Order: sequence, then structure tokens, then C-alpha cells
Amino acid sequence: MLKLNHTYKWVNSGGRRIFLLNDLSVNIEQGEFLSVMGPSGSGKSTLLNVIAMLDDFNEGEYYFENEAIHELKPKKRTAIFNENIGFIFQAYHLLDDLTVYENIETPLLYKKVKSSERKALVADILDRFNIVGKKDLFPHQLSGGQQQLVGIARALIIKPKLILADEPTGNLNSKQSDEIMQLFKELNEEGVTIIQATHSESNAAYGSRIIHLLDGSVKHH
Amino acid sequence: MIKKYFKIAWRNIIRNKGTFSLNIIGLALGVASCIMIMLYVSDELSYDRFNERADQIVRVVFRANVNGEEMKEAVVMAPVAQTLKNDLPEVISATRLANSYNNRLEYNNTYYGQSNLGYVDPNFFDVFTLPIIHGNKNTPLDKPNSAVISESLAEGIFGKTDPVGKTITVTNRTKKLYVTGVMKDIPKNSHFHFDLLVSTLGYPQAKNTSWMESDFFTYLVLKKGSDINEVQAKLPAINKKYMGPQMMDAMGMSYEEFQKENKLGLFLQPLTDIHLYSDFSDSTTLEQGGDIKYVYIFSAVAIFMLVIACINFMNLATASASKRAKEVGIRKVLGSNKKQLINQFLAEAFLSTLLATSLAILLFAFTLPAFNQLAGKEILFSSLLKPLYIFSLLALLLLVTIFAGAYPAFYLSSFNPINALKSKFSGKEKNFGIRGGLVVFQFVISAGLILATLVVKEQMNYIQNKDIGYETDQLLVVRNTYLLGNNEDNLIEDIKNDPRVENVSHSAFVPAGESDNEVGGIFMNGEFQRRMFFYNVDENYIPTLGMELLQGRNFSEEYGAETDKVIINEKAAQILGFGEDPIEKTFERDTHDGLKNMTIIGMVKNFNFKSLHQEVEPLILKKNPYGGIIIRSKTADMSGIIKNLTNKWNNLNPKEALNYSILDDSLNHTYLKERKMAVILTLFAILTIIVACLGLFGLVTFTAEQRFKEIGIRKVLGSSAAQIVALLSKDFIKLVAASFLIAFPLSYYLMNIWLQEFAYRIQIHWWLFLMAAIITLGIAFFTIGIKSFRAASANPIKNLRTE
Repeated sequence: MLKLNHTYKWVNSGGRRIFLLNDLSVNIEQGEFLSVMGPSGSGKSTLLNVIAMLDDFNEGEYYFENEAIHELKPKKRTAIFNENIGFIFQAYHLLDDLTVYENIETPLLYKKVKSSERKALVADILDRFNIVGKKDLFPHQLSGGQQQLVGIARALIIKPKLILADEPTGNLNSKQSDEIMQLFKELNEEGVTIIQATHSESNAAYGSRIIHLLDGSVKHH
Repeated sequence: MIKKYFKIAWRNIIRNKGTFSLNIIGLALGVASCIMIMLYVSDELSYDRFNERADQIVRVVFRANVNGEEMKEAVVMAPVAQTLKNDLPEVISATRLANSYNNRLEYNNTYYGQSNLGYVDPNFFDVFTLPIIHGNKNTPLDKPNSAVISESLAEGIFGKTDPVGKTITVTNRTKKLYVTGVMKDIPKNSHFHFDLLVSTLGYPQAKNTSWMESDFFTYLVLKKGSDINEVQAKLPAINKKYMGPQMMDAMGMSYEEFQKENKLGLFLQPLTDIHLYSDFSDSTTLEQGGDIKYVYIFSAVAIFMLVIACINFMNLATASASKRAKEVGIRKVLGSNKKQLINQFLAEAFLSTLLATSLAILLFAFTLPAFNQLAGKEILFSSLLKPLYIFSLLALLLLVTIFAGAYPAFYLSSFNPINALKSKFSGKEKNFGIRGGLVVFQFVISAGLILATLVVKEQMNYIQNKDIGYETDQLLVVRNTYLLGNNEDNLIEDIKNDPRVENVSHSAFVPAGESDNEVGGIFMNGEFQRRMFFYNVDENYIPTLGMELLQGRNFSEEYGAETDKVIINEKAAQILGFGEDPIEKTFERDTHDGLKNMTIIGMVKNFNFKSLHQEVEPLILKKNPYGGIIIRSKTADMSGIIKNLTNKWNNLNPKEALNYSILDDSLNHTYLKERKMAVILTLFAILTIIVACLGLFGLVTFTAEQRFKEIGIRKVLGSSAAQIVALLSKDFIKLVAASFLIAFPLSYYLMNIWLQEFAYRIQIHWWLFLMAAIITLGIAFFTIGIKSFRAASANPIKNLRTE
């Protein structure tokens, strides 16, 4: 599905280069559930942002479904991202001014999906996540786990091929965390490719493959 | 989608009520000022445009400079109209108007007091669009003594009965007036207003063939598309042709010889320029007009107000960027493109502007009566409903939305989503530079206006307190005692005996307010010098007005009539070349019976008998008491004298009420335009500083929010509240101070131009700058201080705990 070849990303700090990604290569197949592990600052978030095309890299190649992303213009990249990728944040990042329903609906608005279709899609996902009763609440009226559920629902609403989750359960307790992981597993079984960055061994274990990062490169055992 | 934008915008407004109110109030003040000034300006610009051929009509005016005397007259010689029509192919028709004074109407033995009466040529109604609604609509003035009456005067005199065919008696006129038609009242935005227009056919001056005497306002209708400048270029030749021979007769000098050292000529003034661009001498002006300068000043003020309010909007929006950054980040990750975000922010700006405009219209409705009174206008609220204004208002709405909303929209939507989500916005982003610039701009306007206001106030103060050569207080003027006829002297004697009266002079010549006027040619050894003003006075004039006699003596009863004696002012002595010692010198004055020799018996200290806009001009006092009386009271309270005077008057002339004025009031009235401007300027100076401070308040609030952790740490480390206030205020105060560097030179330059209008004016002293600076800084610091003191006095642990 996607392939990173010898990618480098660095920032200059005090005249020295600090590598965020250092000759990193990774190949992810369709239908995988990949867990990315590593200590803080090892490059997990950077890797996810690069895969999401939200962040540039300085050197190397990136192919997404055989499209050479490193050669594309930003606008085209954004289009590919919007079409294929759902992003889930550790801090949920729901829009405070919008209700649960509106939060989930927002990506569809940006894709200019018709009103009737929007209603059907949002109703489906609310139903599936068992949050129909909460659709008119605002984010601050929900628990952390519920907020993350909305976050996932919002990421799934565009039917992405790939889900990127940056420490999705970092702010949750272990019970909520297990529920989210179970949900990821089900989604993966339905055919969605998932890449999650995590600190937790137990969460990582839900994945079909685990890679370990250290100082911006994949650590081989 | 648009609905969604507005929904989100509305929620955002509700959530940020504080910032939002600052924005709305500021914008509403800006928009309300704009609406008001827009209506005022368009009213000023609308003068005389109701005439169907407004663009083709021009007025012929006279300008000259003769032996150092500058003459600007809106009236020209009687034959000019017919001559120009005959000689210039571009002139379709020409018509004349002569103002007539002191006309009292009588009908059925009832008096109706003064009326505005004008003599006009029979074709007047063909040139000006003044609809006749009743009576002879085509040729109302084709007979001597025929007159057209205005609707309201007709109602006042005749009530419901038909005025057409009735005759009205006018005092001082042997022939009665015969009403042939009723015209609609002349629109308010006309440069003349008459209640009675009388045919010139019976008016002797209309047949005057002299090119040396000016009496008539003369209007020409030019062919469509003719170039005014081209027509004007033909006037000198005409002047030479007709005035030349008469000049030879009157002055013994050929036209060419005269033009060598003097300038003199006829010029054309477009009808639509009359109201705003007239600088003609008061005695030849129909009504005090407007002034294009004030139109510019107020338009500028309106734009400033709006710009300041828009800047607030921009500044507060970008300052709250850190709050909005997260939202922008999320939305971008959710698939929003830049355009969609821009639209959303613009929707927010639009909603705010819409609310502000609604509030502004309310504000406008409530303050309109006060504004009308101040500006001397009769603007109706309903005039806002004209399609043009509705359209302008919508245009304004869009303009403000784009102006105030575009910058924040583009700025906010350009955030990189990853940085935005990480909230990488420190207190000192690059935007502070732009915001700082905008704050400086706001305070350039505020401080500039404050300085301008101080200068205007200082000048008005100066005018009020300047020694103008006579004592202006405790003077009571009655200018129509001539109505009493033979009883006039009795009244004067009676009033002299009132114990409250210090002195009484018999004269209708007053140095302030309405006055009789006489100008005559001065000759020396038979050679024309120049024209000078004459005052017809009695021997009590100089003591009554408290003037100072520098040389010689006053008129005195001991010497009899003294009709060949004069007292001149210093300026006249200087111009006639008598310098310090004019006594017993002689000159000749032009009279109907030829030149008459005059001997100077005294020289009076220069006194300002015109407004302080003009230098003192040469003046000659001659003994010829008539017309009115001037009373000097012993006390400031003149009510007793007025009561006494009224009683005596009513006994002598019960037909008409006593008409008196207090000279000090008239003097104040002279500067009405400046006074109004002072009030309006003060008002807007206050408004701009309020709006600018609203913005400042908002910015300090954000800074305090952004730096609240820093404030907490500093307090834990032992910083005092005052030090925190200084920390937060420092940057803003610097900006305000920086604005002075631009504001003061600019304001100084512009106010000096304004001061040029006064022949007697103040210097803009350094302490005026200091005062403006202290006021501006004081208000700004007060605004910033309130907010930062609150931030500084909060419990520091609270600040840190939220982390």
C-alpha cells in the first residue's frame, strides 16, 4: 500500500542537524495493522505525520499506492490525504463549538457530500458506535473515551483506506483503551489498513506487526 | 454550506462575548458615524441640483484687485445678463435676481413683518426649476409689480383663500404687489430662499445701464456641452468693450491704463459650486453657504472612524489566533481546504458587521435629532430608506466585512496544521509587528484629532478674548428704529434717561452681526485712490462702543452738523499716506453730486468691524445719524433695559414688535461655522479615542491571557503588581508614543492650513503638543492599566495550576 525508501527528515538547531527520521525505510501492505513503538522523541509522530502528508521530509522517497508522493505538489498531496486517510489524535481534537453529530459530519461537508447522503452516513456511524443518544452533546459534555470514539467515528466517516492513530489511547484508562483497540481490530478485519503509534506493549499487541523506532530509524532485532 | 458557516460563526461569537462586544461596539460607532456623515455630505453636495438644468447654469461673478483692495462679489452690473446673452452664442438664456431688504408686508391692515423678497427677471422660472402650483404657470412675472408667492407665505397671509389676484402692500414701496402665482416653497438645499419673487419690470435698478455699479445676481443657461472655461475666456473682451468707455467717464482713466496696475473681471461659477465654493463678500452673499473644506474634513473623519474600527476587528481576530489555531489545524486534517476556512472566517466577519450595522442604524436613529441640531440640517431617518442609501449601506457592509475580515481570514487559514495543533504560538509571533503597526495607525488618527481639537479650541478662545478695538459686552442693538419715523428721537431721549443706560448712539452701523453697509470711492486731488467703507454715526458712537480715539477729537454738537468732517481709522490713515498725523488733512469722497471735500478731525484706533478672518480694512466715520440705535448698559443684566425699551416701542409702533440683538451674541454667531466644527471635531476626537482604546483593551486582554503563566512565575519569584503592569503596558505605550511622531507633524501641517483662514490667529505652541500627548497617553495607559492590573493582582498559583 505504501512504501518509504531511505527517508530523512531533520531540523537545524544551533548549527547542528537533528535527525527526526534517519534513513528510515518501511513497507506497509494493504490490510495490515501496524503498531509503531519507541520511546518519546524516537520519531513515531513524525513518521505518522509524514505518512499523512501533513509534514514534509528532506530526502528519500514515499510511494502511496504507487503514487510518488515526494514528486507531487502540496495541493495534490492534500487531495490524496483527504481521499484516503483518516487521522486520530491522542488529544481527540474535536471541534469544541460543534456537537457530536456536527463533528462527525464536518469531513463530509468539506467533501461536498449531499445532505441526504450525509445524514445517512452519520446516522450509520452513530448507530454502529452506539452514540446516537449523544449526538447533540458538545465535546466537553463527554468522557475521554467517548470523545475518542467520536474522534474515530469522524476519521472513519469518509471511509478511508488507511487509519493513522497517534497514541489514540494515551489519555484513556485501560478499560477504555481496550475497547478502542478492540474496535481497531474489528475495523482491520473489515479491510481497513491501520497504523498506530503507541507506548503500550499491550496495545501494540493488537497489531499484526510491530516495528520499533529509535532516533528516527527502524530498530532491527 | 453557507448556513453552516453562519451557524459556526454565531457559536463562536457567543463563546467569545467579550472580544465580540468590543468589536461590535467599535464597529457600530464607526458605521453610525459613517452613515451620519454620509448623509450630511450628500446633503451638502445636493445643493441646487434639484434644478433640471443644474449642469448648464452658471453664475456671473465679479473679482477685482483695485489699489490693494480685493473685491469678490457675487453680484454684477445690471446690463451684464442681456449683454452676455446677445454677444455669446453659448448662452441660451440669462436671468437676474436682486435681493431686497427691509420689506414689511401688509394685507388687510394686518402686518406680517419681514419677508424675503427678491426681484427677478420674468424668465426666472424658465431657468430655475421652481414649480408654480397655482395661478399663472407660464408668464407669472410679465407685468410690473406682479409677484409669485411661496406656498407657506401664502398660507400665512391668506389662509385657505385663493391668493391669486390679491394685492399686498409693501412698506417703502409706492406700488402694491399683485399676486399672480403660488410656487412651491424653495427646497432647503437651494442657495437662495425667497417667499416673494417680484418682477424686475417695475424695478428701476433693472434698467440701469451702468457698468460701474453691481446689483444683480446673474445666471446664465449655457448650451449643453459648452465648456465653461471657453465661455469665460470671452468675458474680458466684453468687459473692455462695455466697461471701458464708462470707466473713462467716471475715473478719467482708460480701461487699458486701469488694468495695468489693477485686476478686474467677470468670471463664471457653476451653479452647483455656489453652496460649497463661494468666497464672496458678505454683503453680496444671499445666504451663508457651506464650505468644501468641511465636507472634506468630515468625510475624512468618517473614513478614519471606520478604519479604526476595522483595525480593531483585524487586531482582535489575529490576536486570538492562538485560540483559533487548534480549530484551524483540526479542520485542515479533516479535509478542509484554505478557501473553505477563509469563507468561514469571512462569514464570522460578515455576521459581526451585520450586527454592528444594525446597532449603528439604531444609534443613528437615536442621535439624529442631536446631530441635526448641531449641523443645522433637517435630515430625516427615512432618507436612509432611499435605494441609493440602502445600496450604499450594503456596499459598506461588504466593504467592512472584506476590509476587517480578509486579513484575519487569510492569516488564520494559512496555518500549518501540525504546528497549529501543537499550539506553537508564543507571545511574540511575527504578527505583533503588523498589529503594532495597526495600533500606531489608530493612534496617529486619535492623537492627530486630539491635537486638532485643541488647536481649534485655542483659536476660538483667542477670538473670544482678543482685544478687537472696542468693548463688545453690554451692548444692545436695535437696527430698525427708523420705523418710528419722527418718534425715533423721542425714543432715544427716553432711553438715555433710563438709569441703567450708560450711553446711546444713533447709528445702524454695527461691527458685528447685521449692519448697514456703505462703500464709497476716495479721491485725492481729483484722482481715484480706492474704495473704502463708511460708517454713518453720531457723536456718541465712539464713547458708546468704547473705542479709543488716538488723535484729534470726536464729533461734537458744538460744531453743528459737521457733514464735511470725518474720523478715520489707523488703516485708512496709513493707506491714504497720512501716517501718524492725519489731522486736518483732506481728501474727496464720491457722492451723487460729484466729489465732496472731507477734512479729517480724528483718528480712531483700528477695531475689527469684520470677522477676524479678515484684516482690519480702512474705515471712515462720518456724522450722519440714522437708522438704528446702539445702547451701552451699565450692567451685564440688560433685561430691565429691554423691558423698558419694549414698552416704549409698543407705545410708539404697535404694528411691529421690537427687534433687538445683543452684540456679543451676534459676534459669537459670526463664528458659528467654526463653533460647530469645534463641537463636531471634539465629538469625533472622543469617539475615535474610545474606539481605539476598545481595541487596545482587547489586545491587552489577549496579551495577559497569553502570558498568564509567565505572570504567575514572575509573581512567585517576587515581582510586584506594578512591575507586572509595567511589563504588560510597556510595549503598547511605546506604540502610542510612536504614533505621536507621525500624528503631530501631520496635524500641525493641516491645522496651520486651517488657521490661514483667520487673519488673526494663534501660534501652535509646544504646550499644545504636550497636552495632546498627555491626554492620549493618559487615556491609553488608563485602558491598559485596568486590564493589566487585574492580571497582575490575580493569585499566581491559580495561573500555574492550570498547566
